[in-house]
Amino acid sequence: MAEIAQRDRTRAPLRAGAKGSGGLARRFHLYANSQGGFATLLILPALTVIFAVVFFPLIYSIWLSFAEVDLLDTSGPSLDFLGVTLPLYKFVGLANYRELAGDPLYWDALWRTVYFVAAFVIEATVIGLAMALVLNTEFFGRPLLRAALLIPWSMSRVVVGLLWLGMLSSDFGALNAVMHRLGLIDGYIAFFKNGFSALNTLVLVYVWNQAPFATVLFLAGLQSIPKDLYAAAEVDGAGFWRKLWHVTLPSLRPMMFLVLVLSTVNGFLMLDLIFVMTFGGPGNDTTTVSWLGYRTAFSFFQFGPGTAILFTLTLMCVVLTVVYQRLILAKFQAE
Amino acid sequence: MAAVVANYRRPLAPRIASGLGIYALAALVAIWLMGPFLWLFITSISYQRDLMAMPTPLLPVNPTLENYQKILGLTEFDHADQARLVIASLSNSFIVAFAVTAINIVFGSAAGYAYARHRSRAMSLSLYLVLFTRMLPVVVLIPALFLMLRQVGLQNSLTGLTIAYCSFTFPFTIWIMKSYFETIPRELEESGLVDGCTRFQVFVKLIVPISGPGFVAAGAFTFVLAWNEFLVAQVLNSKRGMTTLPPAIAGMLGQANIDYAIIAASGFISALPAALLALIFQRYMVQGLTAGSVKS
Repeated sequence: MAEIAQRDRTRAPLRAGAKGSGGLARRFHLYANSQGGFATLLILPALTVIFAVVFFPLIYSIWLSFAEVDLLDTSGPSLDFLGVTLPLYKFVGLANYRELAGDPLYWDALWRTVYFVAAFVIEATVIGLAMALVLNTEFFGRPLLRAALLIPWSMSRVVVGLLWLGMLSSDFGALNAVMHRLGLIDGYIAFFKNGFSALNTLVLVYVWNQAPFATVLFLAGLQSIPKDLYAAAEVDGAGFWRKLWHVTLPSLRPMMFLVLVLSTVNGFLMLDLIFVMTFGGPGNDTTTVSWLGYRTAFSFFQFGPGTAILFTLTLMCVVLTVVYQRLILAKFQAE
Repeated sequence: MAAVVANYRRPLAPRIASGLGIYALAALVAIWLMGPFLWLFITSISYQRDLMAMPTPLLPVNPTLENYQKILGLTEFDHADQARLVIASLSNSFIVAFAVTAINIVFGSAAGYAYARHRSRAMSLSLYLVLFTRMLPVVVLIPALFLMLRQVGLQNSLTGLTIAYCSFTFPFTIWIMKSYFETIPRELEESGLVDGCTRFQVFVKLIVPISGPGFVAAGAFTFVLAWNEFLVAQVLNSKRGMTTLPPAIAGMLGQANIDYAIIAASGFISALPAALLALIFQRYMVQGLTAGSVKS
């Protein structure tokens, strides 16, 4: 790096050129070939887009969560930005949030979400790890199975929901058919009729879709464990479970952290499966915070309360990431 | 001890379960991963009336391509108007996914290269901002994006959708490409600069040609993300025929009158491109997945 900087003579002419010699084009070329100038030009397009479609909407969203949004009323104050007029609507302070705090529907949705996330994180981690352990063992056909790993992950959640609706259908479901043939059930089960069963079915389907992602991360972690650790454990007479507990799991701690954080956040944000499979029902039994926020904003077009709900969700994700980091990663780094 | 290490081959298989056991487990994993996908295909080549038989046949009784002909408009049927949306949304999906991938490859990799090679306070601050956007749930931005695009007149347009998708694909691409470029030795650039190339020429002529695997990882990853996205398309492009495949399929599911076999056929068509990409570029996409998720 230092060598490049020393050899980088383009900076000096740039300063000399600033005194007047050389045209605009020449100065641009000099700037573009200087180290910092080149880097700036390379990140500029991407950063512009990220600013326009992430940071600006984010700030506007924060405003919306404190506003009473009436989509038809554009007479109020507005914000002019680069020739675009954005309505600011009526500022109502914390009213949207206060309304949430007093809404039993919100609290029900919150507890339901906590159950959903806990069940999802545990199942996705356990099944993801189990699949990684199987796929880390050598057997004939392993490359094929590793390739198949990405199939559930590569599908749109709409298609995932669609295919599981078919698998679980009480009219023509493959799962019902298999269980019926095995003599486990007498009649076909309606998985979505009962609220609790519908919620758990959603967990199962989401685990099917997301566990391969955990497996990919765990496999990457497993491959970095030195083999002599296992050899040493075997010399000490450790069996499968003791090796798993004393060698594998401690070595996987950074990956475990990632999987837990990412699946917790993904669990909180899951929305599309509910849209396709239950629409929040029966009753409100599968209405999670994310679905409530989405429904409030886009089915009832209450953008203020809707964004407020979605912001509480965002806050939960951020807080949980920090907590996990304190608990697991800090401990890992201390060792 | 040395001999033990040398002979060590199977680190995790339980000794008792090593032979047949591992194949039983592998079969279980295979059924779990592939079963639902195969069932989708089986229903898509079945007649609804055959599926309704009790007990449900697990293999297609009268395999047929009629469901595919119906959604592709080759055969007329009762609800042809709803199924016909599949062709329009399929082409919309392709246009948006390709546009997003191209934009990400060009500008995302440029930014990734700059972050891999140049360190300064402003650069690390902006990189931190990019990573922060990766943490932000897209759903919280949708209300604001909806109002903004409506105001600019880009609602129900493929351009608006493409721009919106870049918000969640750019951080991934930048991060994946940054990790890839960091594996290329710096000496290559130094020799290029000594030979009199400009920095831009070094990037385009020396770095880009050897970065194929990085582009494949980022490109395949971005394509799958854009291809599968549902919520943003559902909200921003709600007009009939202006949306992508996932919202179109969700719309068909909402209507009780098309039979399930036809919807399954459109689901299979939607799953195919991404699944093929995942199978062909499996190794690169796994690289992308791990690089994309390992932050900080």
